[in-house]
Amino acid sequence: MKKSLKYLAAFAAVAIAGVACKKSFLTVTPKGTNLESAYYTDQTEAFNGLVAVYDIMSYQSGGLITKEDAADAGCDDHVAGGGGASDVTDLQVFNNYTLNESQGPSAALWQGGFQGVFRANVLLAKLPGVPMDARLKAQYADESTALRAYYYFDLVRWFKNIPLIVTEIPASEIDNVLQVPPSAVYTQIENDLKSVISNGNIPDQVNITTDGGRLTMGAVHALLGKIYLYDKKYTLAASELAIVNGTPGQMNSKYGYQLLPNFADLWKTNNKYNSESILEADHSSKSGGDWGCIACTEGNVLDIMVGPRGYVAETAAAPDYVSGYSFIPFTQEFFNFIHNDPRNFATVANLDSLKAAGIADYTPGYDNTGFFLNKFAGHVADKTTGGGAPELNYPQNIYEFRLADTYLMEAEALIMGGGDQNRAAALMTAVHSRAYNDGKSHPLQATMAVLKNERRAELAGEGHRWFDLVRWGDAPAVLGYKGFKAGRNEILPIPLNDLNATKIKQSKEYGGTI
Amino acid sequence: MNFRLRSPIPWFKIMKITFSQILIAVVLSSFAYATPVRAQNILDKPVNISLNNTTLLDVVNYLQKKNGIKFIYSKNTVDMAQKVNANFKEQPLKVVLDELFKNNGIDYEVLQDRIVLGKLPAGELRANTDASPGDKANRAAEAIIAVTGKVIDAQGLPIPGATVTEKGTTNGVLTDVNGAFKLNVASQNSVLVVSIVGYKKQEVAVGGNTSFTVTLLDEVTGMNEVVVVGYGVQKKSVTTGSISGVSAKDFANQSVVNIAQILQGRTSGLTITTNDGQPGDGATVRVRGITTFNNNDPLWVVDGVVVDNGGIGYLNEQDIESIEVLKDAASAAIYGTRAAAGVILVTTKKGKAGRTQINYSGYFGTSAPARKLDLLNATEYATLRNESLAAAGKPILFSDPAALGTGTDWQSYIFNNSAKEQDHELSVSGGTEKSTYYTSFGYLSQDGIVATPISKYNRINFRTNETFKPSKYVNFGDNIGYTYNKSIGLGNTNSVFGGPLSSAINLDPITPAVVTDLTAASAAPYTTPNVVRNAQGYPYGISQYVGQEITNPLAYIQTRLGNYSWAHNIVGNAYAAVDPIPGLEIKSTVGTKMAFYGDESFTPLYYLNSSTVSSQNNYNRDDTRLFNWNLENTASYTHTYGKHNLNVLLGEGAYVDNGGYSVGVTEYGLPVTNFNDASLNYSVPAVQRIGYGGEGQPHHISSLFARLNYDYGEKYIIQGVVRRDGSSRFGENHKYGTFPSVSLGWVPTKEAFWPQNDVVDFLKIRGGYGVVGNDALPDNAFLSTIGGGRNYSFGTGDTYISGYSPNAPSNPDLKWEQTAQTNVGIDAVIFHDFNLTVEWYKKKTTGILQQVNIPYYVGAITNPYANVGDMENTGQELSLSYHKKIGDVTFSADGNVSHLKNTVTRLAPGQLYLDGAGVQNIQGGVTRSQVGYPINSFYGYENLGVFQTQAQIDSYVSSTGQKIQPNAQPGDFKWADLNGDGKIDDNDRKFIGSSVPTWQYGLTLTAAYKGFDMLIFGQGEGGNKIFQGLHRLDILTANYTTAALNRWTGPGTSTTWPRLTDNDANYNFEYNSSFYLQSGTYFRIKTMQLGYTLKKDWAKKIGLQNLRVYLTGQNLITFTKYTGYDPDISGSIDQGFYPQARTYIVGLNVGF
Repeated sequence: MKKSLKYLAAFAAVAIAGVACKKSFLTVTPKGTNLESAYYTDQTEAFNGLVAVYDIMSYQSGGLITKEDAADAGCDDHVAGGGGASDVTDLQVFNNYTLNESQGPSAALWQGGFQGVFRANVLLAKLPGVPMDARLKAQYADESTALRAYYYFDLVRWFKNIPLIVTEIPASEIDNVLQVPPSAVYTQIENDLKSVISNGNIPDQVNITTDGGRLTMGAVHALLGKIYLYDKKYTLAASELAIVNGTPGQMNSKYGYQLLPNFADLWKTNNKYNSESILEADHSSKSGGDWGCIACTEGNVLDIMVGPRGYVAETAAAPDYVSGYSFIPFTQEFFNFIHNDPRNFATVANLDSLKAAGIADYTPGYDNTGFFLNKFAGHVADKTTGGGAPELNYPQNIYEFRLADTYLMEAEALIMGGGDQNRAAALMTAVHSRAYNDGKSHPLQATMAVLKNERRAELAGEGHRWFDLVRWGDAPAVLGYKGFKAGRNEILPIPLNDLNATKIKQSKEYGGTI
Repeated sequence: MNFRLRSPIPWFKIMKITFSQILIAVVLSSFAYATPVRAQNILDKPVNISLNNTTLLDVVNYLQKKNGIKFIYSKNTVDMAQKVNANFKEQPLKVVLDELFKNNGIDYEVLQDRIVLGKLPAGELRANTDASPGDKANRAAEAIIAVTGKVIDAQGLPIPGATVTEKGTTNGVLTDVNGAFKLNVASQNSVLVVSIVGYKKQEVAVGGNTSFTVTLLDEVTGMNEVVVVGYGVQKKSVTTGSISGVSAKDFANQSVVNIAQILQGRTSGLTITTNDGQPGDGATVRVRGITTFNNNDPLWVVDGVVVDNGGIGYLNEQDIESIEVLKDAASAAIYGTRAAAGVILVTTKKGKAGRTQINYSGYFGTSAPARKLDLLNATEYATLRNESLAAAGKPILFSDPAALGTGTDWQSYIFNNSAKEQDHELSVSGGTEKSTYYTSFGYLSQDGIVATPISKYNRINFRTNETFKPSKYVNFGDNIGYTYNKSIGLGNTNSVFGGPLSSAINLDPITPAVVTDLTAASAAPYTTPNVVRNAQGYPYGISQYVGQEITNPLAYIQTRLGNYSWAHNIVGNAYAAVDPIPGLEIKSTVGTKMAFYGDESFTPLYYLNSSTVSSQNNYNRDDTRLFNWNLENTASYTHTYGKHNLNVLLGEGAYVDNGGYSVGVTEYGLPVTNFNDASLNYSVPAVQRIGYGGEGQPHHISSLFARLNYDYGEKYIIQGVVRRDGSSRFGENHKYGTFPSVSLGWVPTKEAFWPQNDVVDFLKIRGGYGVVGNDALPDNAFLSTIGGGRNYSFGTGDTYISGYSPNAPSNPDLKWEQTAQTNVGIDAVIFHDFNLTVEWYKKKTTGILQQVNIPYYVGAITNPYANVGDMENTGQELSLSYHKKIGDVTFSADGNVSHLKNTVTRLAPGQLYLDGAGVQNIQGGVTRSQVGYPINSFYGYENLGVFQTQAQIDSYVSSTGQKIQPNAQPGDFKWADLNGDGKIDDNDRKFIGSSVPTWQYGLTLTAAYKGFDMLIFGQGEGGNKIFQGLHRLDILTANYTTAALNRWTGPGTSTTWPRLTDNDANYNFEYNSSFYLQSGTYFRIKTMQLGYTLKKDWAKKIGLQNLRVYLTGQNLITFTKYTGYDPDISGSIDQGFYPQARTYIVGLNVGF
């Protein structure tokens, strides 16, 4: 018994030791994960938060929806294409206007936009408490505010009836958020941008080697001008855009903007942040993105999506396209339109022509037209040399604003607002003449009809056409053949997810009450 | 038959198992040798009793109650149901006892203050009435015959711990470690009674012999067997929970290479579906259905060590002694937190005291596919393609289909009809009373039947365990298993996106496997760089019809040669226990699982077709290291007081898992062309060298648990369990969860009123209720965290910067998912040879942890977790077994059948349904989970047959007279307009079948005659549908099975198979409908075995203990209507499952 007591004592000691460390035992420090309460403590963490706000600029959903491919699929210049009638259904249903609250690009675009808004709101709330350089802090705040305005602008023109959230929502209030009239959104974002401009914290130009892609004051003016244009404040739009555009055809020395001489150079990946570029959605080939998380890659998915399917180069002269998924090919009607325009070759990859000439072969995809979006078709030369799935890692940036666009927007504002028609013509002529790049002037008349054609030719495939048609009121006529219905398809339906258990209402256009 | 005792078992273990009986035996036998106690004072006690036409039992109860006289007796030896009249007034107890008991053949003795009743020795009835009962105790001392003997089992192995008593007396001893005993008996008329739990009791007349060898046969009625429960063992007769088990002999020599195969069909209440037939791949195990949208894998506990799920594959099936499945909450509650999906306890083989035993068992086998699909040949393919093109108004492609002949049979190139496998296992075990050991070494090698060069599995395992008992009060031991395995896999199974199976099914039969025609081989596309060639330099054929990921499987194999994954697993524990006072054991166990695993692969440059191209080679290696541990301290006290049997267990535990990290590197552009030459030593530019890594967030659980078992004479049984767990996965508000359970049992056959009969030998009615939990959610979900990866690219350097932002709103109120279960069952032995168990249960899971879809406008990148879902399972289970020995023939039949019904009862607010699986090109997914329906039910359109004529289409109109399917053509499906809105769209879908099997059944038949034995084992599942999605829909040119020959080609040709067209405007193939769903019901003759065991004395002559040879056929016949390779698939969506093989093996067992 004595012996057993000895063992008993030893056991009791072990048991007690086991109990002793109990309290802390269940509190495990998160590994490699920061708690929100312990973050935003210095300049680096504030900058990391700012990067997250910018991240949404190049938002691409897991379902391969981007702002550009969606807008293209919905417009008259393209069909959705792809591999079959249900290949990326969200694009197909926008193409044939059978989209609804549960199918179509709504969920991705709504979700992406609000993620940007949320990240901006978080950073704006945290910044005041971050010990850091005051000037930089003010710049980060203004960049966040301007980016939030940018995300809201996209949301309001896609969806019209959106909630306007400018602070963090307490968890208890999540389901009580209400929508506001679009005018309230415009007021908010116009005022935000005006104050950003008056604060003067955002630089006019940045070092493109390190900071290319960051907001500049020129980009903020361009955004505000575009918002005014959509808000039908034509005079304000024209004056705002004039700040960006300067003298038509000449360099704007304040921001360094000038049209590139050669239209085709705009689509070269080694030409990022060129003088015509005002703001770009940035991409990199080096993030090693793979199919496990399409939304995570920094590569541009359009490059693989729009490439010709089953592409085979048959001669050395053949373009070095990567075999892609044949999404959003141009329509025959568009090809007829642009066929004789000098921008034709830079815009359209005419695979049937290459095939007929024995230069290259390809496999027709769904709704094939043979005309592919050359601006974004991926090239073997751009294929990543880093890791990840090569398809998801093309480094091509996408222009949010380029000078030709702001020229034409200012011209539109001048025409619509009854402004300086000569300046309008000069702006349009500058764009049109650049297309020829032959040292001669190819003048255009300052009329809406001419302007509409010029925008269509200049900006084809860049995600503008659908918005332009809706803004001009031309959509029902032009898109009617696809199924577009006036009074309905000018906006996208609010996604089902946000109608469930919330106070959000579907827009009247889609059978709702708001 | 589910519960078997391992025979023989170490004696010290029996001490625990049958403690109560042995305690009695020891006490009584020591009494027999001790100085007799005279207890006249009790016998002189005056009593009053007046009972007429009563039973002896009532008398005993009366005396016990009224006079405080305690009785001890065994119902098996004395007949207490005898009717008597008892009328005594102020009589001494002795008179009463003599009158009522002695006269009825019942002897009595006084032990301390109790009356021990026993059978009166023959011939003594009433003959010795004047001798005082106490005097008889002296007979032991006066014994005239000393007998010795040995107790052995049917295999000739000694049985230690058996009780040997002289019949009708309390004179007895226990056998020692060698099974030997020595006992003094009264006379040659004495009879020895030899008994031990798990064996049939045997009686031997002493006669003129003084030396005996008593062979005990296994007890087949089952109720005396023991089952492993958490932290201990229990006699099956007193279990009140629902526990199914399998023991080693049920699956010995059957070429089962994973533990789920052992359980499939042999246990009721389990749904086991094979993940795929690839060697080394596992199966999905569900205990009583699916209880959560989260992880439904049961908790695996190997020798007391919690092994994280998925990691059980390391275990060599030959080392398994028994497996017990704790199915209901009352049983599983002792594992509280993680028991919601059921608990599976695995006990490995241990050494036994006695001579050293060396056993070898091994087999060689050969496998072939059990079934091949009938695919179209080249002529049929071309004919149907032409038809499909023509129907879409396109020019036909093949002018003369007949000229193409039969073409290429792709399946014949990927299937191996003689895939080899072998398994060898050597074990050494033995020990003494002070220590035992068991050591085994095993090797398994298995070739796959599909694309064998890239489908192989090898396993080497080593296991050792030791026990030591240095003193009466202390014992300790260890138990360690090590496994290395190497898997070479196809890399792509159950996917229509390529891989050898999908390619063989979908490739056109026109393309040759290898292009030997030099003209063709030197033209496009074979001029493309990196076209894959065979050893002779001929290119593998590249289809000009079927593209994308569907590639020549022979070429595909070449691109993956050498790639493999590997794993080292070390799972072990060490324990020490002290027994300071009889009945009390204090034990401390430390266990660990260490795992090291990873893979190595090389992707060469290749051109398989225009869209499946590798233009940069890469070489990848990754490694993961995992270290989990747990520590448990328990105290168990067993006490028997009269008929009161009590066991109390108290314990505490600390568990840490998920403590691993992994690192990997991929190098691109190595200057090599194949796996063997690839090496990380080549220096490649930094940008082509991608390193990555990750760390697990350790998951901590701390627990306190207690269990009380009490039974009164094994008649009234109660068990209560409570466990309180704390988990690091919850915040302060709900860090701890308490999980109680209680269960009751009643054995009416032990009641006095139970009539003597030959029908029901044993009946136990039991029921229980308990709650178990689940903390299966990601770590840190209750915290508001910042996530990375919100990256953006600034500048011209083609690089990017890491961005950070909050992840999801936090939910500090997250709490345990709870599963409450009510279980009611009966266990019965009827007609002596039938064992029956029937059970009913209802399981309700509440607060299922799920990510709730919060509105997108919140802007979170992920959804937060909350306790939002509920789910219910109800089921019935029946097991029936029959064991009989008639002369030299033994026969047994064991069957079980289970039914279960799953219903989703609640989803998050606003969540109408959860999307299930999708299939490429099927519109809107194929399964969903919705309240009121089983989880993941098939959802689709109602298919009303095929339109035969245009008139039928024209007359299919809505209430407003509009044509419902204006785009349809004859030969297209007629879809039901379920919502009556006059058009067919996704609102016209409904639930069209269960994806989860609702029935499971299994049957094992064995027979043995002299040395020969045979076994037939069949199993099946049913009630579910399988989506037969082998055909790749988005490639119009993909090949079909011959079912397509029955397509609609004109009025009256088919009502089930639509026309073929390249322009499927009616979505015949893009709508999910009954067209794709086939019954998943099957019954499979899984195993047939014929064995021969050499006669013992013949074996001895050649120096062996035993020798058995056998021949086994596996997966011989499957009865099913399913048209794919194999209906036994997990998930019920078949997109090219790797089928299970049909295997023949020849094996050998030798004991040295």
